[in-house]
Order: sequence, then structure tokens, then C-alpha cells
Amino acid sequence: MIPRGSEGVRHLATRVVADLIPKAVDAYTAADLGLTTALLDMVAQDYDRAVEVLVADQSDMRALFEAALGSIDDAALAARMSAAITARPASLHVKDQSAQADIAMRVLIDLHAYVEDAEARGEARASALNLKIWTFLDVHVARRAYDSAF
Amino acid sequence: MTPREDELRSGLSAYLSRQWSTETRVETISRIPGGASRETWRCAAFVGEERRGLVIRLDPETSLIDTDRATEYRAMDAAHRAGVPTPEPLFLEADLSWLGRPFSITSEITGCQASADAIPDAHRETMGRRKWTLLGEIAALDPLALGLADAMPATTVETCAMEQVDYWAGVIAADEIHPNPVAEAAVRWLRRNQPPAARKLSLVHGDYRTGNFLYTPDGEIAAILDWEMAHLGDPLEDLAWSLDPLWCWHNPARAGQLLPHTEAIRCWEAASGLKVDPAAFNWWRVFASLKGIGIWISSSEDYHNGTSKQPILAMAGWLMTDRQQRILADYLSPHSTRRFYEAKA
Repeated sequence: MIPRGSEGVRHLATRVVADLIPKAVDAYTAADLGLTTALLDMVAQDYDRAVEVLVADQSDMRALFEAALGSIDDAALAARMSAAITARPASLHVKDQSAQADIAMRVLIDLHAYVEDAEARGEARASALNLKIWTFLDVHVARRAYDSAF
Repeated sequence: MTPREDELRSGLSAYLSRQWSTETRVETISRIPGGASRETWRCAAFVGEERRGLVIRLDPETSLIDTDRATEYRAMDAAHRAGVPTPEPLFLEADLSWLGRPFSITSEITGCQASADAIPDAHRETMGRRKWTLLGEIAALDPLALGLADAMPATTVETCAMEQVDYWAGVIAADEIHPNPVAEAAVRWLRRNQPPAARKLSLVHGDYRTGNFLYTPDGEIAAILDWEMAHLGDPLEDLAWSLDPLWCWHNPARAGQLLPHTEAIRCWEAASGLKVDPAAFNWWRVFASLKGIGIWISSSEDYHNGTSKQPILAMAGWLMTDRQQRILADYLSPHSTRRFYEAKA
């Protein structure tokens, strides 16, 4: 394993900035290397947080599905929500976590559309659920935010 | 000179000799940084002792934006004929035998920069007023009189908005690597809250922002670039795109890093002769961010699945998707702090 992985990746970016960009043979190469350092910094951020982000997203979506299940009349959607509540990724590897998170997210997107339609029909429970979904989406977006000066 | 540069130099020399019916030699050639949608090169061509600076745009192996080269060329040509500052379009070539890919050639505009970060502070407000005045002047053009009806897909004032939504929703659906719940919410919002008909059909540049024009050291805008997403549509589309918070991420109060949003809108209104309808403008702002996400998702797909591994594709796909999602969530979430609402018309 790379010791202190995020830090190790950032050292690579620093090396590119300090030693390689000054030796770039033309403006195009220098610009490419500049972009590469910014990307390496983002990789360093994801190295640390990727599993945490994906596990937290799935946990939040399962809680949402459990809270919403009783108010969903669409049997097919309810079945997919039930399946997502009990499903677990094959491992803690990012690839497996990501695949399971994607499945749950597609259910959430359909649930959101269903809830918006219900809200448009004036169903009071739908408004509360829509607020909960947006609470999750706000957190989902914030969890993925990169800190970048670019 | 690299083998690639030598190959292009040789092919261009032959091509220009034929086009100008006189022996022409390309002596220097270098790739221009940026240009994620086309591979862009600058060269010096000599006819005898006369030097001609040229810019060559080659179709890429893979690009940030899937666009039609002829549409880009004809839009720029129409704008140039109408007096909008653009590089002079010279040739559009589809024959692969010259450079191995289709390409276009324009005159080079020298002594200018495009970098938003390099604009001297003293010139930012003046340049900003000029930038949105020029956009208003583009909005005021009659695209049919410019002969663009057969160069671009037909549309109407009633249908142009939803056609754009359908197009970008399709791009997202086709190219997304992971599901995008905020983009999906935006598509549904745009379809539920359709805008009024456009006041007129305009030539829409499609990517009008700081960084896509050349400016002189004294702050004059010398040429508007990157017409590859040009189409016919609602002029508010360009205005909203130009004011997207992504283009002033580190200083949201300065539209395009140049001047206050309200002043940008005033300049555009004065030059276009159009009054911004706040409700319609708000719709186009949400659309602009959806379109942004579509472009960034598409570039990410290109980076991961395509043949090109240009860092700019990854930058668009990773960082810009993150920021554009934050903008869209700010627009749409009932819990939003409305961080970006200072840009309201």
C-alpha cells in the first residue's frame, strides 16, 4: 500500500509544478502539465474519501426509501425500493460500492419524479418527502465537492 | 519539429499552394493550448517573402463537444460578414487526403490573449461592457438575412427552448457514467416550467464566455472564438450561459470575472433592443447549468471511454461537473442558501 496515499499523490503534483513545468518545451505541454497537477490534487481528495462518500450515500438512500415506502402506490417502484433497502455491495472496494450506489440512485431518481408528480396533485405527504429528498441531494452534492483553486 | 508538426506543415504547404494557386510554404507551426473541442494549431505561411499568420482547426479524434465543423465555420463566417469581430474564415476542407482529418483555416489575430486570469484589472469593467454589448449585437442580427437558415437546424420561437432541453437531456442519458439525480431533477423542472416563446430567433453563439474571445493588451476585444455550438434559438440562451456562475466561481459578484451581473444585463439590453423577462431568464439560467452538466458529463465519457486522454477532458468531466451540480442544487433545492441568486435579472 502507498503510505498516506493522499499525501503521496500530492507530492507527485508538487514535483510536476516545481520541476517539470519549468522544463516544458512549449506552452501546450506546460498547460497540459498544469491541468494534470490540478487533477492529481483531486485524485488525492478522492483517495481519502471515496468509500466514505459511497457508503454514506447508500445509507442515506436506504433511510429515505424506508421512510417513503409506506406512501408509494406504484408497486414496481416500491419493489425496487425494498430491494435497494436490503441490497449490499459485494465488498468495500470502490468499484463494488459504486455499482450498488448507482443502482440505488436510479431508484431514487424515479422516486423523486414520482414524488414531484404526487406533489403537483396536491398530496401533502409528497411535499414532506420531496423536502427530504432534496436534503439528501444537497448533502450528496456537498460530499463530492472538490477543494480546488483552479 | 516533431513528426506530427512536420506532417501538418507539409500537408498545409501543399493545400495552401493549391488554394492560393501559388507556391506557399508553411515554416513554423505550434499547437495552441486549450481548444478542447478541436485540435487548434497556429502557423506561419509564406508566399514569397509575404508572411500570413493562420489558425488551423482540425477535427479531433475525440472532443469535449460533439459538433459539426461546417456549422461552426458558417456561423463564424456570417458573424464576420455582419461586422462582429471574429477571425476571418478562409477555408473549410472535408477532404481527408490533406491532413488526415477535416479542418478549417482562419486568419491569425496576433498580439492578443484569451486567458480570463490574465486580464488586467484596470480593463475588466470596460471589457465587460464591450463583451455584453457585442453579445447584444449578435442577438440583434437577423440570422435568416445572414443565410443561416440552411446552415443550422430549423426551429421556432415556440419550440427552441424545449428542443434544447431534449437535446441536452439526451446527451446526459447517453453519456453519463453514473446517474445524476440533480441533472434529472433539473430536466423535470425545465419541462414542468416551460418559458414563454422567444422574443425572436437569433444566432446563438452557444459558448459565449470570458476565455472564448481574444483581447488586446489595452483591453479591446479583437475576436470572438469557438462558434462550434452555434445554432438558432432564443437570445436569452446566450445571455444566461454568459452569466453562469461557473464562469466567475471564485468571485461570484463579477459576471465572467468582469463586471456586476446587473450591469452586464443592462449592456446586453441596450445593444440587443430586447428587454429581459425575469421569469424567462431564470428558466434559461437553469437550462444553462443543465447544458453545462451535459457538456461536462460528455467530456468525462470521452475521457474514460474515448481514445483521447487529454487532461482538459478530465478537468471538465471531474471538476466542472462538481461545480455545475452545486450551482444547479443552489437554483433548485428548497433548502438552498441562494448563493448564486445575485445574478438575477
